[in-house]
Amino acid sequence: MFKQIGAVTMINLRSIPQRAGLSLATIISIALVTGVLLGFLAMSNGFRATLQGTGSENVAVALRAGSQAELNSGLSSEDVRLIEEAPGVARDAEGRPLVSGELYVIVDGTKRASGTDANLPLRGVGPQALSLREGFEMVEGRMFEPGTNELVVGASVLREFSGFDLGETIRLGSNEWVVVGIFSTGGSVFESEIWADIAVIQNLYNRGTAVQSVRARLTSVEAIEDLRAWDEDEPRVNLDIESETDFFASQAGGTAVLIEFVGWPLAIIMAIGALAGAWNTMYSSVDTRMREIATLRAIGFSGFAAAVGTMVESLVLAALGGLAGALAIYLLFNGVSASTLGSGFTQVVFSFAVTGGSVIAGMVMAVVIGFFGGLVPAIRSAYVPLLTVHRSE
Amino acid sequence: MNDLTLIRKNLFRKKLRAILLTLSILIAFLIFGVLGAFYKVWNSGAELAADNRLVTVNRINFTVTMPYAYWGRIQAVEGVEAASFANWFGGYYQEPTRRVQTFAVDPESYLNVYPELVFEPEQRAAFIANRTCLAVGRDIADFYGWSLGDRIPLLSNIWQKSDGSASWEFDICAVFDGREDYPANYAMFHYEYYNEDLAFNQDQIGWIVIQTQSADLNASVADTIDTMFANSPAETETSTEAAFSEGFANQFGNIALILLFVVGSAFSTILIIVGFTMVTAINERTGEIAVMKTLGFPAPRIFRMVLSESVMLSLVGGLLGLGLAWGMVTLIAAAPGVSAFLPGLSMPQNVFIGGIGLAILLGLLTGIIPAINAQRVKIVTALGKQ
Amino acid sequence: MASLYELKDLSKRYTRGKETITIFEELTMSIPQGDFIAIMGPSGSGKTTLLNLLGGIDRPSSGSVECEGVRVDKLSEGKLAKWRSQHVGFIFQFYNLMPTLTAAQNVELPLLLTKLSGKQRKERVATALDIVGLADRKGHRPRQLSGGQQQRVAIARAIVADPKVLLCDEPTGDLDRASADEILETLQLLNRELGKTIVMVTHDPSAAKYAARELHLDKGRFIEAKAEPAQ
Repeated sequence: MFKQIGAVTMINLRSIPQRAGLSLATIISIALVTGVLLGFLAMSNGFRATLQGTGSENVAVALRAGSQAELNSGLSSEDVRLIEEAPGVARDAEGRPLVSGELYVIVDGTKRASGTDANLPLRGVGPQALSLREGFEMVEGRMFEPGTNELVVGASVLREFSGFDLGETIRLGSNEWVVVGIFSTGGSVFESEIWADIAVIQNLYNRGTAVQSVRARLTSVEAIEDLRAWDEDEPRVNLDIESETDFFASQAGGTAVLIEFVGWPLAIIMAIGALAGAWNTMYSSVDTRMREIATLRAIGFSGFAAAVGTMVESLVLAALGGLAGALAIYLLFNGVSASTLGSGFTQVVFSFAVTGGSVIAGMVMAVVIGFFGGLVPAIRSAYVPLLTVHRSE
Repeated sequence: MNDLTLIRKNLFRKKLRAILLTLSILIAFLIFGVLGAFYKVWNSGAELAADNRLVTVNRINFTVTMPYAYWGRIQAVEGVEAASFANWFGGYYQEPTRRVQTFAVDPESYLNVYPELVFEPEQRAAFIANRTCLAVGRDIADFYGWSLGDRIPLLSNIWQKSDGSASWEFDICAVFDGREDYPANYAMFHYEYYNEDLAFNQDQIGWIVIQTQSADLNASVADTIDTMFANSPAETETSTEAAFSEGFANQFGNIALILLFVVGSAFSTILIIVGFTMVTAINERTGEIAVMKTLGFPAPRIFRMVLSESVMLSLVGGLLGLGLAWGMVTLIAAAPGVSAFLPGLSMPQNVFIGGIGLAILLGLLTGIIPAINAQRVKIVTALGKQ
Repeated sequence: MASLYELKDLSKRYTRGKETITIFEELTMSIPQGDFIAIMGPSGSGKTTLLNLLGGIDRPSSGSVECEGVRVDKLSEGKLAKWRSQHVGFIFQFYNLMPTLTAAQNVELPLLLTKLSGKQRKERVATALDIVGLADRKGHRPRQLSGGQQQRVAIARAIVADPKVLLCDEPTGDLDRASADEILETLQLLNRELGKTIVMVTHDPSAAKYAARELHLDKGRFIEAKAEPAQ
């Protein structure tokens, strides 16, 4: 039996070049469908990876209760002082609490891709900010001097937005700022930010001594529960406290899910179109091989072997298409940088990521198209009338 | 019988093949139609913008506020017909996830610069007169089941009252509609009512909307305003409403390019499938074409018939796809709650017409090679092959 | 009888690779109006090529084909197509009907090249089908008809535009004896009653007997001509 199937399959596959045009059409159409799916998945995975790669489990983020985003939040210097004394908050070697009150305002940056303005976060930070971010390093230049109109810019900002090169002067309101350094945090969301001295920004924006968010290093991952309990019992504060990991992970959800929510239905609908194409090709394949199949059946090959031969041809074409699509998307898009409006209402710069999981999903889809496209033609080839062998044509 | 009969019979000679091709063409046009309808909603900000409406925001960013006094100063600028302002409220109802797009406005002037908002006269008067009034867009009112006379609290995730609460009580005294496709998916209330209790950022406004006397004056008005506030703590940036909307839409990324990729892929797919199948189909008919020529059918007529066949196939698939897209879009738009998020979702006429044009183009592209082949069929060779 | 065709010094050569194959050389003949000629000869003798030249679907390498004073070999492709539609009816060995069309529609096909109205076309089709005795089969598709019936539809198609000449290429080559006889009788009838000039290529001597005269073609030459009809 296996010998039969093998023989028929080889005859089928060898005859593909006779239908080069239609076979190529099937491969390309399945490649395009796979490509669309993988393109969307690469976008969503890249965005998700950036946000999920941001933050530490050992850091708690405190916002004003109900504010949901750093932009909306507002906390007083009294709140900051209370958090510094709260249980579960770690201290450095000199006994100073590892707490950073930060200001978060939005400024315009010009997107390189479109030339239009987009929201960029300008974060006002104090001396403790660096000790709360692992992996922070200056790539170029130096850190800003406190009390001056100096800025440092995240590497992702530099990549996606124009006008932030080292030494450039930037006008925010009526003030001029100088870019003195470029920093990296290993591809996390912070790289999509601009940092400056908190006191200068408080002054410029008439914020007095108020901040918008407070980050605190925890003595342990579990210590966040102590901090939350303290917030419940302490009448002078009213905060929402989350671990930094959760804070960013929850922000990933909306956008990433939305992208997949658009990508999958589109890919599935396109897959139906490609399925029709594959079916058409396999139908022609059986049509042109009618006599050949009938001859094989006449000399004793089984209908099942003929069907398997047709099915394998269809699956091979589909798999080739899936591979071609995955390869094309990988070469074209993997690592390509893009930015979109995140749930913090500011731009998040991310890189398209073609992951193994999404390639598998794409290949599965391609093979499913091949299977259903080849199903009816395969059944048909099992029932080719033996008398076709005499047909003149 | 005429040429059309012949074309039709040839097209549906292999029924399954014709159905499969129609299906794959249908899918591409379904995608084209549905995405076209969504793109129109996406782009509606720029599309529905009035020619002579400008928006002034803080130069730093539109989320940064500016002083209330700017409103008065802008009204006095030469070429300004009317001006109003608004501030973002960041409202939600009961739960943070139940967002309500809400603006704090000066009702009378706001309705003046937005003639697209349609109010019953008595409700319009009530909104202007009643300081606790919340005017609710029809889509929002339907979504939350609110009606006239309801008293509802809205919470803000940005602002606080001086007593520390973030909740404002409102009386719904007006429900408004948008003219034609204009969205009615937000709510608005008196700026003064909200401003007096504000714990911080009092007397600040988010953006100013300006109606110029004529679109020709836009550039000079914008220039005058931005110069007027230059070197102040809150410098301004004035742009046309269309440019502002487009800039905001662009923040999400180049959606148009992504859609172009998707639609492009869908059309490349059918171009390839249909193109190759048509070539095969005409090759199979070489003998018949030779007979037609023998009977005296001139080559140009055969060329036209083959081309018409592929155009007919494309049109059948294209019209079915566009029709299905229209049906789907209508169904989606009618689903509860959709109009609040996708206001004015409908099948745009220009997408429909563009689709038909595209179908004809597809037909010509997929038919041209088979048509040339058919025209070139040599009778003696073709008949000899049989 | 007035002459319908005048062939002068007709030559036809093909090149296959580097080789030049001569089908026939300097053939001269005339075909009078109302003639019924059977052209016989072994395969490769140039029978079909001669028929193609008479029908204006192939061009000579040299020499001339004149039909009623018109130099057929000199007509442009477009004019040639029009000339064929008005002057010649073709009948093939394998009928060459359109599988997607009914018998009546197949017969109507050549009339699409005329200016006749739909009603006039219908009448002509009915008459043509009547002549070949298939009036009751007009709604059938070729696949639903026997070989003989298909060939009769093909004859109806050939005569429907009322051409002067019918060119038949092995019209009975694919048929059994009885059907073949019926077809040949029909052709004979068309020749005698309607005055159609018929040129028929065949290698079946019993088919050739229906013709008014037989011509034997071998290696591009007529080797023997029979002057008298068989019956």
